Amino acid sequence: MKKYLSILLALCMVLSLAACGGSSDTQESAAEDGAEESSDPIIIGTISPNTGGLAAYGIGVTTGVELAVEEINAAGGILGREVQVITTDDQGDPTECLNAFNSLVAQGVGLIIGSATSGCTSAITDAANEEEICLLSPTATADSLTTEDDYIFRACYADSFQGAIAAAYAKKSGCEKVGVVYCAADVYSKGLYDSFSAACEKYGVEVAAAESTASMDVQDFTNQFAAMVSAGVDLVYAPFYYDVIGPYVVPQARAAGYEGIIMGADGYDGVPDYVVEGADLSAFNDIYWTNHYYPGDTSEKVQSFVTAYEEKFGSTPSAFSATGYDCVYMYKAAIEAAGSAEPSAVRDALADTSAVYDCVTGSFSLDSTGTPIKGAAIISFADGGDKVVTELVEVMQASDLE
Amino acid sequence: MKKLGRTGQGYLLNTIIIVLLFTAAQLVTAAFGGEGSFKLVLVPSIWQCCYLMILAASLNLVLGFLGQLSLGHCGFMAVGAYTAALLSLACERAELFKDKEGVVFILVLFACVLAAGILSALIGLLVGIPALRLKGDYLAIITLGFGMIIINIINNLPFCGQDGLALGSAAASLYKNGLGFGTKSKVEFLWAALLVTIISITLMFMFVRSKYGRAIRAIRDDEIAAAASGINTSYYKVLTFAYSAFFAGVAGALYSCTNATLSTSSFAFTNGGILNSTFIVVMVVLGGMGSITGSVAAAVIMFFINYQIKNGSWVDALPAAVQAVFQYPMLVYAIVLIVVIMFRPRGIFGSYEFSLINLKRDLKAALERRAAARSERKEARSNG
Repeated sequence: MKKYLSILLALCMVLSLAACGGSSDTQESAAEDGAEESSDPIIIGTISPNTGGLAAYGIGVTTGVELAVEEINAAGGILGREVQVITTDDQGDPTECLNAFNSLVAQGVGLIIGSATSGCTSAITDAANEEEICLLSPTATADSLTTEDDYIFRACYADSFQGAIAAAYAKKSGCEKVGVVYCAADVYSKGLYDSFSAACEKYGVEVAAAESTASMDVQDFTNQFAAMVSAGVDLVYAPFYYDVIGPYVVPQARAAGYEGIIMGADGYDGVPDYVVEGADLSAFNDIYWTNHYYPGDTSEKVQSFVTAYEEKFGSTPSAFSATGYDCVYMYKAAIEAAGSAEPSAVRDALADTSAVYDCVTGSFSLDSTGTPIKGAAIISFADGGDKVVTELVEVMQASDLE
Repeated sequence: MKKLGRTGQGYLLNTIIIVLLFTAAQLVTAAFGGEGSFKLVLVPSIWQCCYLMILAASLNLVLGFLGQLSLGHCGFMAVGAYTAALLSLACERAELFKDKEGVVFILVLFACVLAAGILSALIGLLVGIPALRLKGDYLAIITLGFGMIIINIINNLPFCGQDGLALGSAAASLYKNGLGFGTKSKVEFLWAALLVTIISITLMFMFVRSKYGRAIRAIRDDEIAAAASGINTSYYKVLTFAYSAFFAGVAGALYSCTNATLSTSSFAFTNGGILNSTFIVVMVVLGGMGSITGSVAAAVIMFFINYQIKNGSWVDALPAAVQAVFQYPMLVYAIVLIVVIMFRPRGIFGSYEFSLINLKRDLKAALERRAAARSERKEARSNG
């Protein structure tokens, strides 16, 4: 009897869990049912970390893609064909990312949006080239991902630009001695460190201290910031992801006695939602970071996107949603230019450096490696009383780097 | 000719079956290898299963047969993965092979696998000598620390962290120049993965069956009694640890073939996927501590669950409620583990070893046991 009781209990557990997640899912399946009626749809696959430590990125990308696809389908699709999306999850792990990629290709998907992080994306770039599948990454910024003559493109700037912009901003705000806390094991963090320090050297800003952490998800930064304090730097460049910035990096840096500027990159997007309740919000003053776009931008394109997104999902879109949204429109433009959704034709259209994409994150064209040429928004955090608020400082263009 | 004993017959049967299966796998690969989901889904899955099986079985030597908890097993795998990767890159730079073709490449491939194992075993020896003086929780802490140290060292070594492998397109030099396999070469070299796995599992099996195996089981059951019977406990413990590390290294070499890019986050104590030190312990416990075949089965089962919930097309056919659970894969593993431990506390296989020659006898015995247990319960109920 006991045995059957425990089976029953296990089933109850599963079903109750199912009930928790059920509501969001019905929406999606309803959307899919509507799309299935089309005879010959264009299928776009997405790979993103929908669960795990970086889930906010994956959710950002998938919601952005969902919104764009819905808009496109409502307006008659691409070349009169309906667009369908197959979403896969890589959990932020390179092995899972490759599995997801292979599974999408086996299902006949030729156009893929993914993945959100550089580490995962680097695991599938070669597979994409070998299988001749278009890969358009919304936010993988590592320099080495895109090369000429390949199937890899992205909708975001590269780290060499992002790090240099941060260095230019450091110079502009009058810092003379800067420090870096980074993770040597991660393509993204290490890449930003390299480009930031190279640019600092160019601008005559001294990198007085550089400290590395063991991984991107360590929870103790006290020693690193103590070293920054003793080096006497005015600005610390700390390229990490949101999951550690809000709860660990910032409070521990201030607790270690570091009073200066903390500068970050696009990984800071989403930090205000991950600040520990009851934390001292004044710690978040003097934090600046570079991002793909600013949701408060007054341009019509950004505002219509932000309004539509807020209406559908009830929250402010992150840069991941914006670039995910842009990816779909970039594919749309490329498919229309190529007149076909064949991966090789779309690849040739994307490789055309004269094509201009008018997107939420700016109006840009791709360079010969497949990376957009566009500006970066410098955004600051501040103590807004009951929550951390963001504010646009300025938008810096590539021309500001001279 | 001497007549074979039952054990001899068993070995003969196993050899015949393995050779037949291996040939069949070769033929199937030759027939379907070029295209479609065989190439894209099945072959990469087999590669991943291969290294998971070796890894789980090798940890079982320490955890199940020696009875020592090691939480840093993926550290040895990382050593193996990076050794194989760097050695293959060095060979390419020395122009020993080109484009992953020819006999020389196959030799280099096996040399890399062997070197990965040997270096891991050496490090296992170095760690094992001081660590195995401790027992239980303390050993667990030391091995846990070791796993982290290894990963930090690898990250910060100039020739093997992000710097060393990231020349060219991110971490792609391994794919282009080393032993990182794309889907096409995965099909081509599937036999190598299978061969390495078969040899590794066989060697581990022979170890457990030998006098060494008896000695370490004696140590597990009662260390003082074992020492009193003249078993040199430290020697056997360190030996087993190093032997286990060897195969973790081999698994690492297969890993670097499978994933053309390496990042140390894949070998951490925990991470998002199923390849981390914690999960390997889970596999061993799930399969049954003290059963190599159990570990092999558990590795395949865990991989299958993990792969299917994320990528299986049948998931779309399920009711939305079940799909919603599947959005949180970590939850599903936890539920599987709880259910298994609830009904089979000693793991799926317990300490039972699957064997072809005994299959009939074992099945019969199991059925009889079950019938006996049932009638006993019935009796107890009618009495009470």
